[in-house]
Amino acid sequence: MEAVIELSELQDAATKAFPADKLIPDRDAAWALAAEMGWLMIRLPEELGGLGLGREASTTIHFEMGRVLSSAPLIPAQLGLHAILEAEGLADREDWLERISGGEYVPLHMLPTKLETAADGAISGTVSGVFEGDMAAAVIAYLPGGYTLVPADAPGVSLVERPIWDKSRRVFDLMLDGFRPDPSLVLADTVGSRAIHDAISPEAHLAVAADCLGGANAALDMSVEYMKMRKQFDRPIAMFQALKHRAADCNIRIVPAEALLWSRAAAEPAAVTPAQMGGVKTYAAEAYQWVTEEAIQFHGGIGLTEEHQVHLFMKRAMLNLQLCGSPDWWNERVGRSALAA
Amino acid sequence: MTDPASPDGHLEALRAQVRAWMEANAPRNWREASQTQEDFVRTQRDWFAKLVEGGYAIPHWPAEYPGGGRTLAEQKVIYEELARVDAPRLLLSFVSTYHAFATLHECASPEQKAKYMPRILEGETWCQGFSEPGAGSDLAALKCKAVRETRDGKEVYVVNGQKVWSTMAQFADMCLLLVRTSSEGAKQAGITYLLMDMKTPGVTVSPIHQIQGDEEFAEIFLDNVVIPVEQRVGEEGNGWAYAQATLSSERGLTLMELAYRMRGALSRVIELIRDNGLENDAGVLRDFGSLVTQVDATCAIADRFLDNRIKGVEQAGDASIVKNSYSRALRAYSLLGVRLGGMAEQYVKPITFGDLNTGNWMADFMNSYAWTIAGGSEEVQRNIIAERMLDMPREPKGWKL
Repeated sequence: MEAVIELSELQDAATKAFPADKLIPDRDAAWALAAEMGWLMIRLPEELGGLGLGREASTTIHFEMGRVLSSAPLIPAQLGLHAILEAEGLADREDWLERISGGEYVPLHMLPTKLETAADGAISGTVSGVFEGDMAAAVIAYLPGGYTLVPADAPGVSLVERPIWDKSRRVFDLMLDGFRPDPSLVLADTVGSRAIHDAISPEAHLAVAADCLGGANAALDMSVEYMKMRKQFDRPIAMFQALKHRAADCNIRIVPAEALLWSRAAAEPAAVTPAQMGGVKTYAAEAYQWVTEEAIQFHGGIGLTEEHQVHLFMKRAMLNLQLCGSPDWWNERVGRSALAA
Repeated sequence: MTDPASPDGHLEALRAQVRAWMEANAPRNWREASQTQEDFVRTQRDWFAKLVEGGYAIPHWPAEYPGGGRTLAEQKVIYEELARVDAPRLLLSFVSTYHAFATLHECASPEQKAKYMPRILEGETWCQGFSEPGAGSDLAALKCKAVRETRDGKEVYVVNGQKVWSTMAQFADMCLLLVRTSSEGAKQAGITYLLMDMKTPGVTVSPIHQIQGDEEFAEIFLDNVVIPVEQRVGEEGNGWAYAQATLSSERGLTLMELAYRMRGALSRVIELIRDNGLENDAGVLRDFGSLVTQVDATCAIADRFLDNRIKGVEQAGDASIVKNSYSRALRAYSLLGVRLGGMAEQYVKPITFGDLNTGNWMADFMNSYAWTIAGGSEEVQRNIIAERMLDMPREPKGWKL
């Protein structure tokens, strides 16, 4: 377990670099700042030139980035790095790690693929969920032959933006049209890729859960501040018990979810099952959705307008719910796995 | 291997020791032996006596008492092991070892302490005479009246009134009693704290019949009850302050224990799913999965709360979050059982005393309200969370209808 002081230092550095009152900081500047602070290689082992920190450290960063609705795509970048770390058979593995540490963006896609392989081995179709695809030097895509690095400028490759409601992030489809994978860019075969998937899926769940709970805290803070300022019937509306109880309910959702997040981030990796990691992501994302749904209502009319920023949290929450498997899928899996235990 | 001299090594050694003792001594068949209130009380008394003997009944007391002097981290280990072995929860002695202890220890005179503390270890049980029909969440509104008089040359209080929601008062030897000695000034100011012998003439106890058939609580009627002035805790009119010591005596161990027990009792939901052939019903699996994570989160927040207390970084409102998280998970747990059990749960089955997760789902569901209403209702906790954690303003004082 990492020293508490180290985590709180990380958190302090993050809140200083990304102050709470500046939502959706400029993406490219945020990315450069994150790179400068070493966050792109926070989990890279020291012997490979990284910071060599554990899950609690990256969770701390994703939590803080969720709080400010950061558009810098640290989660897909961290997952991409993890995939390459796990890909021991990748030809130029060290080179790739170096490029990533230097600030190149090589994301893992975060939504499913729909692909077909022609008789000659050329692949066509869509790889969904490439966040900030315009920044990507290459994308790590789950192709029929296994995880593969797809350079953005390779023949038969294009990145097409898909407009989303969440204005804090941009999502692209990686379109493949007769793409021929370069064998030296294949991370692993299908069996090895399954193992890579299983190794990075808990990381993805922790990261998204942290993003959710950072955002949920910020949305609740924003709502409470608003209710303390907004006066109706000659008093701040925060004085009404009807609203206090609902704000308290939001906190009753957030705080236990956070406790679960930190306990699972701190646990020995083998002590937490994949279903339990999916469970914490689902629980956090559902809490985020609950809190942001309430947050708009707490703001009344202004919450429905673009003049106020509260809607941004709700839109991010709704998208987060869909990442790494839907709540229905994960809740069922958690239930099934508890039944089998 | 953990160094036995390190703090973690020490706790692990304690855990091994407690576990071995629990395996050897914890009663196994207490649920079967707790189908009537009388049997339940007997199993409670036996188990408490055994724990006193083993040195695990009062880990939170000072070291001068046998089995006392444990750190909070050590207490946590003991409670985790109690839950793990599924030992009966110490309900009958709870008010004695926590509420009475804290009050005696922090507020009472040396004579009172010397008289009553050892008797608790011998099995004397206490109840709490705080709530009244007109004073629930608003405890300071209590009206039970004590008038100071001289009788047979002795200074006494003559008490008249009614107390309610007193846990197992029908079996108690002593009572922590809040009375009103003055109606002047703020309502908190006129409250006095007395230690009352339940055998005093004029004390009548009447069990409250709860909706699930349990009689965990009772009403206490006080009709010209004469209590010597020496039985007063501290100063007259200062009872409200002492009551805070009573009410804050237990900070988190119970909820941690209960949360762990609920996690263990998820096996009862699993049984129900299997018995009803619902193993592949996606809707049921989703709702069950959601409950599993909710219970895990409740365990995690109960753990974190205790850890924060051990580190000394507990904050206002933290305890309220733990309580509401637990009570809601408990409601969800029992409600899922009622739903999955279907019509079978609508036929009356015998209840088990002293357990919140019995698998008698309708009874468990009704019993779950004990946690959303008792010990500071869910609504009071939400006020605390809003006002003290989220810093939302209080309503103006002195508001009149």
